[in-house]
Amino acid sequence: MINFFQTSVGKTQGSLDRQLADFEGDTTDYRMKRGLSYILKSSFCNFEVVSPLEPTMLRERVYTLAAKSVPSQESTAVTLGDVAAELSQELQREVLPAQVLAGLYADLAENKLLTAFDAPTATDLLHRYNLSQVQGVFYKASQLVLNAHRNVPGEYKLLFRYLKLFQLMVYVEGDADHGFTITIDGPTSLFNPSTRYGLAIAKLIPALLHVTKWSLAAVLQTRDTYTNTWKRGRFTLNSECGLVSHYPKGKPYDSMLEASFADRWDALKSEWVLEREVDLIPIPGSVMIPDFRLVHPDGRSFLLEIVGYWRPEYLQKKFHQVRRAGCDNLILAISERLNLEKAGVKLNDVPARIVWFKDKLLPKAVLAVMD
Amino acid sequence: MARTATLTFDRGTLILHPPPRGKAWMDYATWDDRIEKFRIPAIKYRSLVEALQVSETDFIDAAKGFAHLELVPALEMIPYPHQSEALAAWKLAGRQGVVVLPTAAGKTYLAQMAMQTTPRSTLIVVPTLDLMHQWYAHLVAAFPDAEVGLLGGGSRDKTSILVATYDSAAIHAETLGNQYGLLIFDECHHLPTDFSRVIAEYAIAPYRLGLSATPERSDGKHADLEGLIGREVYRQRAEDLAGKALATHEIVQIKVKLSQQERERYNQLIQIRNDFLSQSRISLGSLQGWQLFVQMSGRSQLGRRAMLAHREAKAIALGTDGKLRILANLLAEHYPERTLIFTADNTTVYRISQELLIPAITHQTPVKERHEILTKFRQGEYNTLIASHVLNEGVDVPAASVAIILSGTGSTREYIQRLGRVLRKGNIENKQAILYEVVAEDTSEEATSARRRGEPKKKENLQVIYGSGKADNLKAAEQLELNYDVTNRVTHPSPQRRGDYPQETET
Repeated sequence: MINFFQTSVGKTQGSLDRQLADFEGDTTDYRMKRGLSYILKSSFCNFEVVSPLEPTMLRERVYTLAAKSVPSQESTAVTLGDVAAELSQELQREVLPAQVLAGLYADLAENKLLTAFDAPTATDLLHRYNLSQVQGVFYKASQLVLNAHRNVPGEYKLLFRYLKLFQLMVYVEGDADHGFTITIDGPTSLFNPSTRYGLAIAKLIPALLHVTKWSLAAVLQTRDTYTNTWKRGRFTLNSECGLVSHYPKGKPYDSMLEASFADRWDALKSEWVLEREVDLIPIPGSVMIPDFRLVHPDGRSFLLEIVGYWRPEYLQKKFHQVRRAGCDNLILAISERLNLEKAGVKLNDVPARIVWFKDKLLPKAVLAVMD
Repeated sequence: MARTATLTFDRGTLILHPPPRGKAWMDYATWDDRIEKFRIPAIKYRSLVEALQVSETDFIDAAKGFAHLELVPALEMIPYPHQSEALAAWKLAGRQGVVVLPTAAGKTYLAQMAMQTTPRSTLIVVPTLDLMHQWYAHLVAAFPDAEVGLLGGGSRDKTSILVATYDSAAIHAETLGNQYGLLIFDECHHLPTDFSRVIAEYAIAPYRLGLSATPERSDGKHADLEGLIGREVYRQRAEDLAGKALATHEIVQIKVKLSQQERERYNQLIQIRNDFLSQSRISLGSLQGWQLFVQMSGRSQLGRRAMLAHREAKAIALGTDGKLRILANLLAEHYPERTLIFTADNTTVYRISQELLIPAITHQTPVKERHEILTKFRQGEYNTLIASHVLNEGVDVPAASVAIILSGTGSTREYIQRLGRVLRKGNIENKQAILYEVVAEDTSEEATSARRRGEPKKKENLQVIYGSGKADNLKAAEQLELNYDVTNRVTHPSPQRRGDYPQETET
């Protein structure tokens, strides 16, 4: 199929479509072939109107002249001849009546030319196809329940960024030992299950594939059009599913602050192990994703959040979150460059251990508040 | 001290926080664990606000995003009696409800009157891009000082009067929901689908007007209109308005014989299909039969072949050369009268457009060009126009006196709406519109045509074989069965309305 596209560069979409239809023939796997060609057309092709005469203007000209006589095959030939003659004179080159007829609808999809094809490998195409098939299932999803364990914060952050982008809502329950349950749906899901958010959930799946450890179950609502009743279904998937995402991967670290802190910690050779795989801290309407987790061989553990340079509103929100989180093993590392009083943030009722730092966060300062 | 309860809008819902005193609001609210606050469906806004006010509960309304408009009409007409009656009935029902009027009975002007008496930010939802531009043109002319914008077909305006397509309004339902005080649904039978209904559900608009010629839906969902817009407040039939606001018209059915070659191929294809059907014991008489056929065609090569044969046979019946010859004859006979041609498929549209050089409108026609073609047709620069389904609903083409249906899929609503195109009363005195229906003889199309007229299969009193002369044309608009009762309902006085949205503007 990729070959069909490659040899069609410079030809019309109509001729490509006919080739694909012949390939389809009377085989029963035409759905898969159409799916593959849809992906190729929508993601790897560029179609353009190529015509020496702008089709809209050409139509206006032809139809205005044609309206002056009774429509018939004969007057069509006369009109096309007249327009061709006029154009030949205007453009100073010979324009044939057949070219006028061909140019009349050069802007229709089937008459557009394939000008560029950025051929994927067969493997990439199949990855896209398989992912699309699975995404299609989620169009009918009214709710997604995600079971996640400790994962790298960058992965979580990417996932939650997409959640926010697609205007979804989350409800996080559980703890690190038993795993987190992240329920994903939308504002009106509260009143009745709706597939309104199915498309957004489907778009989330490629982002989820970048998270390392998870499993999910989706509730599906399908309408049986013949009996006109709703049916409920269930679909499950996990991180071992083998699907491949085409979304870009998130960055391992949000900022240089975090990256350099991790480097310094490695150089420290402390008993405390710095982990990138963190716990989620559920809070009403949202979730906190700390930057690091610190684990001691004796079982103690802390979560570390680095607060660098931010706008006052962000800080207010962050401290409000910490207050609501009710989390007793949280360490906040705050930059002294932040003018907290000016931001209207009071630190006295924040239930977290606080470390101040100037330009760089030193591991020793963090160790001091843990012991 | 506790803060005052505040009502905010959140993506198609309302949040009431902190919870106010009293119990009046509790009937509407649901506790949302995800945010630890009470949430309320947006459509309940009016009931909730009324309940809070009745129980004298203090609250801050931060949800309401719509505003008062200064609407000075530049276009005023003396309304027809049915327009005034419909407006009065709607107002009595608390400015919520559905008005049923036949195509061309002046629904746009009725909507304009509703806007004048309810001057709040208004969202008008329409099914097609053509209708969108038609409404836009009317509203700009009616309210030259107001901000009128478009949502759909590439436009994304944010104006206090906004005309949107159902698709775009549904996509943006979460953000539009609190911006408009009055919602007007044109051809409102489009609203109760799973996809579109959110336009009404996610909106707080206390005032809602639904307009339709044919609110009935074959899936029975028109019953939902009452919850989404309001109950039916007024209804008039085409018969009662005929001669007053609508032009009369006649229908001529023309049967076309397939050519020898076409007939042979047609029979051959039908044979392939039928052999498969009888082998698999499928009867196409029922929906289940058809469903089974579709399933089988995806599973076996024979089934797939049968399905392809079925499609090709259908294409022959739809696009037979005989039809094109008849078409050319009809066009010659009526030249230069304003003539509209309808077909069911784009392939036929473009084929005819290129063979006879007739301007075409399909869903692929760019919005601007579509507007220009319609304008030229109205002005008489073009006297013929061919279209696929896109012109189906309510598009105002006042000058057309002849319509030709070349092929179509059966549905009562579609038939009436297509008729409406030529039914419109033009400036010509005693205009007699003619509607031709061209079907292939002895094919499955005949059954479709009968279904479209809401007639039993074998009743052939309408049939006129082409060539027998115009004098035999049988039926006029008065005899058309529209199958609807007149329900000139007595409207009930509305319960006392409260609220901080308007009720003060009076007749």
